[in-house]
Order: sequence, then C-alpha cells, then structure tokens
Amino acid sequence: MLRYVAYRSIVAIFLVWVVVTLVFLLLHLVPGDPAELLLSQGATAADPQAVANLRERLGLNDPLWLQYAHHIGGILTGDLGTSFRDGASVAGQIVQRLPRTLEVIITAALIAVAAGVPAGTLAAIRAGGWVDNVISFLSSLALSTPVFVVGSVVILVFAQELRIVPAGGYVAFAVDPLRHLMLLLLPAGTVALALWAVIARMSRASVLDVLERDHVRTARAKGLSRRRILTRHVVRNAMIPVLTVLGLEMGTLIGGTVLVEFVFNWPGLSGYLVSAVDARDYPEVVGIVMVISILFVFLNLVVDVVYAVLDPRISLAR
Amino acid sequence: MTMRLTRRTFLATSAAAGSLTFLGPRSLHAATNGTLRFGLSAYPPSFDAWASSGTAAGTVKLLIHRGLMSFAPDGSLRGELAESWEVDDQGAWVFKLRDATWQDGSPVTAEDIAWNVAEASKPDSTAFLRGQLQTITKVETPDDTTVRMITEEPSAVLPGWFAHYNMPMIKKGEAVDTTMGAGPFKLDATDRGVSLTFSAFDGYYKKGLPKLAGVKATVYADENLRVAALQAGDIDLIEYVPWQAMEQIEQNDQLKLDAVDGPFMYLTFNGKRAPFDDPKVRRAVAHAIKREDIVAAAFYGRGGTLAHLPIADGSAFYNPDLADGWAYDPDKAKQLLAEAGHPDGFDCTMLSTAQYGMHQSTAEVCQAYLSMVGINVKLDLPEWSTRVQKGNQGDYDLAVMGTTAANNDPDGLSDIIDGSLPASFVRSYGLETPEISGYLKKGRTTFDEQKRKEIYAEMEKVAIETTPIVGLCWRSQGYGMKPNVTGFTNMPGQLTFYSGVTLEETALG
Repeated sequence: MLRYVAYRSIVAIFLVWVVVTLVFLLLHLVPGDPAELLLSQGATAADPQAVANLRERLGLNDPLWLQYAHHIGGILTGDLGTSFRDGASVAGQIVQRLPRTLEVIITAALIAVAAGVPAGTLAAIRAGGWVDNVISFLSSLALSTPVFVVGSVVILVFAQELRIVPAGGYVAFAVDPLRHLMLLLLPAGTVALALWAVIARMSRASVLDVLERDHVRTARAKGLSRRRILTRHVVRNAMIPVLTVLGLEMGTLIGGTVLVEFVFNWPGLSGYLVSAVDARDYPEVVGIVMVISILFVFLNLVVDVVYAVLDPRISLAR
Repeated sequence: MTMRLTRRTFLATSAAAGSLTFLGPRSLHAATNGTLRFGLSAYPPSFDAWASSGTAAGTVKLLIHRGLMSFAPDGSLRGELAESWEVDDQGAWVFKLRDATWQDGSPVTAEDIAWNVAEASKPDSTAFLRGQLQTITKVETPDDTTVRMITEEPSAVLPGWFAHYNMPMIKKGEAVDTTMGAGPFKLDATDRGVSLTFSAFDGYYKKGLPKLAGVKATVYADENLRVAALQAGDIDLIEYVPWQAMEQIEQNDQLKLDAVDGPFMYLTFNGKRAPFDDPKVRRAVAHAIKREDIVAAAFYGRGGTLAHLPIADGSAFYNPDLADGWAYDPDKAKQLLAEAGHPDGFDCTMLSTAQYGMHQSTAEVCQAYLSMVGINVKLDLPEWSTRVQKGNQGDYDLAVMGTTAANNDPDGLSDIIDGSLPASFVRSYGLETPEISGYLKKGRTTFDEQKRKEIYAEMEKVAIETTPIVGLCWRSQGYGMKPNVTGFTNMPGQLTFYSGVTLEETALG
C-alpha cells in the first residue's frame, strides 16, 4: 500500500511538472501582453514607454527559458511568485481562495451524495415504476439546466422576491457564521443539483447491476432481511463506480466552478483563475493551475485508496 | 462627594454607557453619517496612483486621494489641493496650495507636489500621463505653498492633467501604490477581489466633508447580480448599470437611476493597408451605417447617435453645423466607394471582441450595413486581451472600439484622433493625421476660449473630411441607487468616470 502510494506520488509530481510547463508555454504563446493590458485598463491608450518600463520591471523582456527557469526555481523553493497586477503573493491568494472553493465543492458533494445515493437506490429497486420515472425525469432536468440558469432563478426567487438570503456574496465564517452558511448554501446547492443527478443515475445503474449478482441471490436465499442485503451487500458494492465518478466530478469542479462563483459572487479559486487569465497574470495562472492539478491528482489517488477499503478484492500492492 | 465603585454601580454605569452607544450614534448621525454600501463592477487591479487601472480603481483613487485639481459635479474645473491656479507673465503655471494634510497628519507641501511631478515623469515611470508630464521642463517651489510649473511651450490644458484621477498627489517618498492620500476617505481594510472598507478622514481639508461615516465597496462582477443586489437591498449604490436593466430601475419606486451619455463607440482603421488608407473609403464607411440600429441593438436604446467627432452637444465646443457630418446616406457611401475605385465593394476583416456583448453587437450591425454598400466584412471576435494586442499591432482592417475621452475638452480626444501618437488600439493604426495633429497642438497652446473654439471647429471639419475614426454612438453610463442616497452625481459627458469625486458630498438621507 505504502509503496503504491509512493509510486503514484512520483507519477503525480511528474504530471504536475508537465502541466505547469505546458501552461507556462501556452500562456506565452497566446496573444495578449500583461504589461500592455495592465496599463490600458478602461480602454485607454497606454504610453509605449510606460509599457516597456513595466515589461522590464516584470522581467518579461528576459528570454523565455530564463523566465521558465526563474519560475520553476521559485516553485521548487516553495515560492509561487507575486501577481503582475499588484504584487500580491500568489501562494497567499491561493491559500485564501482555495478553501472557499473546496467548501462549496465539499458541501455540494455531501448534499449530492446524501440525496443522490438514496434516490438512485430507490429508483433501482423500483425500476420501471413511477418513482423511478420521477427520479429519472428530475435528474435529466437537473443535468440539462445550466448552472447560470439555476443560479439566476435562485437569486430571483430567494434574494429578490422572498428576500430570505442576500443576492450572493461572501462573508467570512469568523465574521458572521450564519450569514456565511446562508451564502454558502446558494452556490453549494446549485453545484449539488447537477452532481446529485449524476450520482443518482450512477447509483441507479450500479445498484441494478449488483442486484442481479449471485451473491445477492445467495444472501436472499440465506434469509437475510431486505434492508441488510441492500445496505451491506448491494449499496456498498454498487458504490465503487459512483465513487469514481464523484472523484472525477469533484476534481473537475475545483477549477470548474467559474460560473457558479460568478453568478453568486463567491470569491473562490475558479473566478480567480479566470481573472488571472484575462489579465495574462502569468505567475497567478501557473500557480493556480499547478494547485488544481495537484489536487486533481491527489483526489484520484484518494479514490483509488478508497476502492481498496470498499472492496477488499482490489489490492493496491504492486 | 465621592462615589464608591461597587459591582452594582459598575454594572449600572456600564449598562447605561452601553445603551448610550446604541442610542447616540443612531439618533445623532443615522441620517447623514451612515456607511454607504457601494457595488463596484471590478476590484482595482492595482493601487498604483498614477497608472491607468480602470474605472473601479479610479473610483477608489477618488475616495482616498486628491489631486491638485478636479472637476466639480457640473463638469467645471475646480481646485482641490490647489486653492488657485494661473499663468504668470512668463507663461508658467502657478498653483497656490491650500491648507491640507495627508492622512498621516503631515501637511501637504509644495515639495510634495514637485516630487509627484518628477516621479511620474521619470523615464522608467508607468504613469498614465507620463508623456504629458515630460513636457514640464521644470517645477519650482518658491515657498511651501507655491508650485510653479514651466513647460516647453505654453499649455492651456495643463490644469486638466492634474484633475485626472490618474494623477492624484501622494506624499513625498511614499510608494506609488500607497493608499495613504489626502482624500476624504481612508482605506481601512481590503479583501482582495472581494471588498474594500473606507472610513471618513476627519482631517480632510473641506470642512464638513465627507458626509458619510464610511464606504463599504463590494465587487459584483456580474452585472445582473449587481442589479439584483441593489434590488434586494444589499447595497445602496451601483456603478455600470447594464442597459437592459435601466428601465427596470427607473420604474422601481424604491430605486433611482442617474445616467448620462458619456462613453462612445467608434470605428478605427488600419491606415497602413488598402483600402482604408484612402480617406474616401473611410468616409464611405461613415455614411454607410445607420446608427440608430446600433443604439437599439447594442444598448437597448440607451444612448444616442454620433455622426461626428465625440464632442457632446452640451459642450461649448459642439459644432451644430457639423453634427450630421457622417449622417447615414448609403447612396453617398456607394458614390464615394466608386470614386475610390471600388464600385463593386471589397472584402475586409473587422476586429471586435466577443467578450463584451456591446462590442460584438455593434460589429454585427456595422457588418450588416456595410454589406448593403458592397463591403463584405468578416468579423474577428477574439477575447479582449487578444483584441487589444491585435489593435496595438495593426492586425486588422477596421475595428470596433469604445471608450471615453480624457475629459470634456476637445484636447481630451487627442488619444483617439491624433495620428502622430504611437500605435494604440484606441486609435486608427498607422494613420497619419498631420492637419488634426496641428490643430490639436495649436489648441493646446491657445488660451483664448473663443480662438480655441474656432481651432477645434476647423479640426472637426477636417476630421469629417479625412475620417480618421468613424463616430457611431454615445452609450449611456448609469449609476443606480436607493432614493435615500443624496449628493452623488453622475458627472456630465466624458467625466462620468470621475463621478467618484462626488462621494465626498454623498449622504444617506
């Protein structure tokens, strides 16, 4: 197990290096000059000499390999650099924003699992019945409605009409815990909706599959209670594909909650990444993408380890 | 009589004091000294005092800083740190400073001002007005409250530079991104990308101002959410009201809209490539487009047509006889094209951006109208950053652009029409405009108002003929607010983005 984790970690480091290098090169390939953009904010004409001065100050006139060497050197010593825009520490910003995004994703995942697994299981054991049909319809609806539509409707109903919650935004937990949770529920609930649909569908298919297996028939023949068969023998075994999907979905969400963050004004990592790309803030983009790729790889590792826990037949020993 | 401090008296006194703190401020100050909750469209990319970092940053600078000059709510030039300003016999500008202090309590001195000019005009400076400031050859400080600026040649427009929100004064020796200024509000806290908290500076040089106890600025990047937050009562004032929401705000009794026509849309050309190196072809484009449709399609009818140089009809420099200089006239457009040797039209590429709906819609309307006179336009709609670079490098035939001028003086249009300036996406690429550059220069060195009017009228006449840009439309720029927000003014015309200066007068009624 330990050897496996060590091996996967080495592969992970290699993968992260590949990602960082690719992002670095791609950023320099696409048009758009950070110095020019920064000094022509508000659609104003930037003084070419001022742009040249800023480029020099930001080290953008160095040859590409030297900029790359500086960057990788910095990362190796734990320094992700500073923002081109205002000199803010990239690591500091990520430390501040990543937890906010993780908070949304984890809350969403909890809601989605708590509601999706029972819904999927119920649909499977009542396959073909009206419960199944209703759940299938709802999950199709949830999957096909874009998050910005859900988000806008949520804001319209709960903030503008009913005035139960503020129209998006963020308040630190330490400042006002209740308001923080209320504001968290808006984006988390919206993300959870689509995630719920995926999980419910996966659970349904997977439970249906397991229900047909021999060991379930044996368990029934042994006279075990329906409840015990379902929880111990069916759902537990059916969870492996669901977990795989959940892991992948959560990984994607780390950098993919842009729309939700935008709609609800939630200052997480995704929104930060988009604004960094818009401004061609190279250190910020590379730093954020690196962190996201590390998390993604790590999440996959966790999923693999949890497989082994759920299914003893899967061995992690190599 | 002595009073012994017992547990009981202590508790009683504390309770009384506690309730007073609750009662006191509310009954005394609630009407005027509240904290204004301001919905910004973006977080300032930097706090660099002199760099052009956009309008949200401009508003923040107008809260914490003051320059030598500013514009009053009616658009007239007024003194800020400078009490008076005049040209002396030798043609130098002399500013007399008023009694003002920095937010750290130290006085604003002539030496501070001289240092600002020297730093912002340094060769390695990134100041927005670096080029202009370099024409100031010497700054003298005969005493603590007098600053004398000597320029290469007399300059009628110099005070306007010092009224720009990208030229505030900071204390000598401070870092250029300092947030300690001489303005009405102090920046207390920031949550990068999220919000900024300001409190009133009690040592501000205007007595009785600011009226607010503080400002809490929260960023709402999504325009619809910004409106929703205003409607839900989360905030008191928003900038950049989206055009589609203006009517909704106007019709809501609980809200009010303050909108002015300030920014404008126009077309720029690549003057280094055929066919737009030919003024006749450019003018044909100007006559080929029906501007009402742009206002309707891109701005929900919120704006006005612009068929001449962007000089507003409220301006003293407006020329009514030239107002329809580029009026919609497809026959004339076809005739001009034929004269230019393109009777059957031609193909070309129009640069705009898909990142901003208004830029894309404007391009689409132009494309449709140009096709009617035989000009087949292919749209190039990259994201904004790429569009800026392509514009700067001249990688286009013609392009849609939108901006404001530096101020309401025609000289503020220099950046947009002066072909002698270096390449920029805000003006046509590689398009020489010797006559216009000449008029702009003459206008800058002429002090007599009447003579300046004549110069700029001549300039506009030449511009209509040679068409260095094509004016398309004015677009409405709006602030939405609750009815109890008073004293906040959306400033006229090109000064709309200077409106943050009126936050010192703003109160919550």
